[in-house]
Amino acid sequence: MNDNVIIRLLNATISYQNRTAIRDVSLEIHQGEFVGIIGPNGSGKTTLLKSVLGLVCPTSGSIQIFDCACHKLRCHHRAKIGYIPQKGQIDHNFPVTVAETVMMGRYSSLGLFKHPSKKDKELVVNALAEVGMADYKDAPLGHLSGGQQQRVMIARALVQQPEILLMDEPTTGIDTPTQYSMIKFISGLHKNLNLTVLLVTHDINMISPYVDRMALLKTRLYAFGTPSEVLNEKILTEVYGQQVIVTTKEGGTYVIAGDYHHHA
Amino acid sequence: MLEMLSYEFMQRAILASIVIGLVCSIIGVFVILKNLTFIGAGTSHAAFAGVTLGYLTGFNPLAVAIVFSLLTVWIVGYLNKKGALMLDTSVGMFYSLTMALAVLFIGLMKVYNAEVYGYLFGSILSVTKMDLKVILILGAIVLLIVYLFFKEFHFITFDEEMAKASGIAAGWLSFLLLNLIAITIVVSLKSVGAILVFALIVTPAAAAYQLTYSMIRMFSYSAIIGVGSSVAGVLLSYWFDLPSGATTVLFVSGVFFLSVIFSPKRRIAVNSVD
Repeated sequence: MNDNVIIRLLNATISYQNRTAIRDVSLEIHQGEFVGIIGPNGSGKTTLLKSVLGLVCPTSGSIQIFDCACHKLRCHHRAKIGYIPQKGQIDHNFPVTVAETVMMGRYSSLGLFKHPSKKDKELVVNALAEVGMADYKDAPLGHLSGGQQQRVMIARALVQQPEILLMDEPTTGIDTPTQYSMIKFISGLHKNLNLTVLLVTHDINMISPYVDRMALLKTRLYAFGTPSEVLNEKILTEVYGQQVIVTTKEGGTYVIAGDYHHHA
Repeated sequence: MLEMLSYEFMQRAILASIVIGLVCSIIGVFVILKNLTFIGAGTSHAAFAGVTLGYLTGFNPLAVAIVFSLLTVWIVGYLNKKGALMLDTSVGMFYSLTMALAVLFIGLMKVYNAEVYGYLFGSILSVTKMDLKVILILGAIVLLIVYLFFKEFHFITFDEEMAKASGIAAGWLSFLLLNLIAITIVVSLKSVGAILVFALIVTPAAAAYQLTYSMIRMFSYSAIIGVGSSVAGVLLSYWFDLPSGATTVLFVSGVFFLSVIFSPKRRIAVNSVD
């Protein structure tokens, strides 16, 4: 068994409200890996992220994060996991500034009854500089664009000084050029800070040049490996229920979905 | 002006109005940002039912009021957690149920009791030494708990799911917040009354919401508006011989409308249309 395994699922099944979200999933993620989690809607991708946070735990099988079983994940462990949930719209007038939002990332490390110190404020400024948002420190969060808000959410995760970063559809609702710069930016963070990154997305082509491995999920784990291993026409067609073509260009592997046979 | 401060009842009224103004306006920020307005309104009616039962049975009315309002948030919170009912629906039921109980208890009293109606509309100028003690102790408890858990409340107000993911006991803290709302209402019952107390909780925070984009600053603005209006209500009612609860509510509502007119948020909205 590899020593630097940071997340380990062993035959994990998670059910709630009489529905099985993931079934019999086994996988190991190593420290410092960038893993993309792909699959159709309702395939259990978000549930997988939430289980790594200890918010939902397996009904059978086991999930181990760091040295901790899912249901025993304690605060100090959670503080080492930065989570960027699927983006909800922030009300334009909601009274919260960029700096206040990022400061919330410090709260769990501070512990009960302690208020943020000067050092915490410095960490907030540094995290904002890291994501290129230092100039917006006092801006109302609701006034920023979708991409800028996402950067602030990343800063909030970074200010926790995490070892693992979990991102749920970080590029949804952002225009295409910004999506690409966002993925590049996340890939940079992964390398520079030696973070373990789990990123849930619909956009296979966008992430495939950047991730180390991909997990293809549809309740069960259909494939787990490098993009060229996972992006297989037969498996993708089975999982997505429609014809899928995989092509390589300039060393990258790309997926084209659609009913090509009808047009041919 | 200073001569009125030599009256003991005025000293008590002003001290009580400062504490009530502060507690209500701080709790109010959480109430409006977490959309808990209706649960507060429901709880104040439950508290009034408690007062009437207290007078009927000879127990301390405020003590029974606390039991009633806490029971209401516990049951409503439980039903919501179990997924049995939406929060607003169960509050709606309790709103009428507790009012029906209050009417029933008043009917059972057989004799007209003016003090009971004092709790409906409030009269801060008649706050007794004992009332003041209760207001000070309960007010201090609420403020202390808010101070101790401030950053956790702040986080769950912005994003409960995120807070949970960071390891904060969000469910437990939300429940604690409901309890604090219930206690705040009981604290204010004697002076502003069950019907008007909610203006003192919602309106200062709503006015502060117009004036800032910072949640931290919203707390200070709300506190200043809450305490200011509450004291102004007492002074105006003394000078012009007006009902204190109504005067306070009208004053704070005036502040709210001014803050809407002078809100920087409205100005930005107009500019962005240009």
